[in-house]
Amino acid sequence: MHPVDHATVVAEDVSKVFFSGGEPVWALEDFSLTVEPGSFTCIVGPSGCGKSTFLRILGGLEERTVGEVTMRGADHPVPAAFVFQEHGVFPWMTVQDNVSFGLRMTGTGARERREIAQDWLRRVRLEAFADSYPHQLSGGMRQRVAIARAFATGSPVLLMDEPLGALDAQTRMLMQEELIALWEAERKTVLMVTHDIDEAIILSDRVIVMSGRPGTVREDLAVPFERPRSFDIERSPEFGELRSRIWNLLREDVRAAEETS
Amino acid sequence: MSTIDSAPSVEDERARRTLVAARAQRERDRRLRYRDLTLSIAAPIVLVLLWEVSARMLIIDPRFFPAPTRILAAGIDMVRSGELWAHTAPTLVRLLLGGGLGAIAGIVMGLLMGSSRALNATLGPLFSALYPLPKIAIFPILLMIFGPTELPKIIAVFITTFFVMQIASVSGVWAIDRKLLEAGTAYGATGFDRFRFVVLPGAMPFVFSGLKTATGTAVVVVTAVEFTGASETGLGYLIWNSWQLFIPEKLYVGLLVIGIIGAVLTALLSRSEKLLLPWRRG
Repeated sequence: MHPVDHATVVAEDVSKVFFSGGEPVWALEDFSLTVEPGSFTCIVGPSGCGKSTFLRILGGLEERTVGEVTMRGADHPVPAAFVFQEHGVFPWMTVQDNVSFGLRMTGTGARERREIAQDWLRRVRLEAFADSYPHQLSGGMRQRVAIARAFATGSPVLLMDEPLGALDAQTRMLMQEELIALWEAERKTVLMVTHDIDEAIILSDRVIVMSGRPGTVREDLAVPFERPRSFDIERSPEFGELRSRIWNLLREDVRAAEETS
Repeated sequence: MSTIDSAPSVEDERARRTLVAARAQRERDRRLRYRDLTLSIAAPIVLVLLWEVSARMLIIDPRFFPAPTRILAAGIDMVRSGELWAHTAPTLVRLLLGGGLGAIAGIVMGLLMGSSRALNATLGPLFSALYPLPKIAIFPILLMIFGPTELPKIIAVFITTFFVMQIASVSGVWAIDRKLLEAGTAYGATGFDRFRFVVLPGAMPFVFSGLKTATGTAVVVVTAVEFTGASETGLGYLIWNSWQLFIPEKLYVGLLVIGIIGAVLTALLSRSEKLLLPWRRG
């Protein structure tokens, strides 16, 4: 659609080591990943495997110890727009100000800002709440604000750190459907971290399965389902196979993570 | 759902009864709210009436507890003669000037210390060490330096509010959810933008609760400062002098006015907090 908009995210041999007491802890070890432009990639892995750390390094929220991170083709003022799990929207700004925050920081004029924000509010069905404050919204609505804020920047890369993780199961399914629709209309390069295997398969073109700490790529799986997608794919045998394959890859590490923490 | 043929009328009847019960419940809640309101208004009125009656019937010693009507009469006399205003004005000036400037300086310093690691490392321990020092104890030093003028009194109030606000503002910055600071970073808020859109609004709830604490402390300090021989004006002086001359009515008038000043300032702060921070819950 907009080939110029699309960026490739490349991470080469990224490692992150921090110290816990006197002991070095390897959160990530030689983690390499190339994300194709305009693709939706999910990272799943046991707790503490460094998947969020990796995303935060890409988003410039955390320093890497060694390694290279490049966003090719992303000469946008906001190289990568971040969506947090929850509490990421500013409680002191109205919904509209939250959505246009990224644009304001990059110096977009007030009128253009308002137009873009209103367009995005309409797309996430929150136009009636433009002047509300986040505490007046439900959890699902707040996450829609967070997602709209990321899309509204126009950034070619979206980094999502369990954006639906704090929602109840049913709201979460609704939001997954909406996210599929939004993404299929925009085709941004998305890298998303999630705990939920079903969510990873439903949303993405590619699932990266990470090992337990230190995090490395255990398996790199293509998701074969056609787009546009719907929840119907859940009933297909391929879906079940993919899901049990991912779970088998994760099971031991999840158990280990569970027992050490 | 009911499967009986005559269901509509039965269901209508049931719905009607449910609504009646719900209305009765709402009515009960409303009655309880009225009762609470009545009690909270009646209690002080009854207390004052009781005071009046006991003082007149000499159940309590009217030399120590003059009847409220006599205090009121004394107050009206003092307003007419201008005596009350002559004491209220200096107290207000000391409070608003010293407290206002102290609050501004404290907020600025606190926000800067909250944002700058180096500044906090430099000044943090120093301020922490000075904070528990009773500010009123510094007053003689101020008198020594500036003489028995207005300045040491204003400075005493200034120092008091400065410390309260500096600590409240630093805590306010530190209490900002890390996620929100990161959201600021992720969307390109740096330098002054970060301060204006993230740090300042994020710290505001603590700043306001600090302002309320500071108001209370400032009223105490201004009264205490006026108690000392260094002052011949102010409500504190009025209270102290009325004790020495044994005019209890005037003493109570001073007490009442200083109480009202504290209450009005606190109410104004609560009001502006609601106006300025509409995003706060509740």
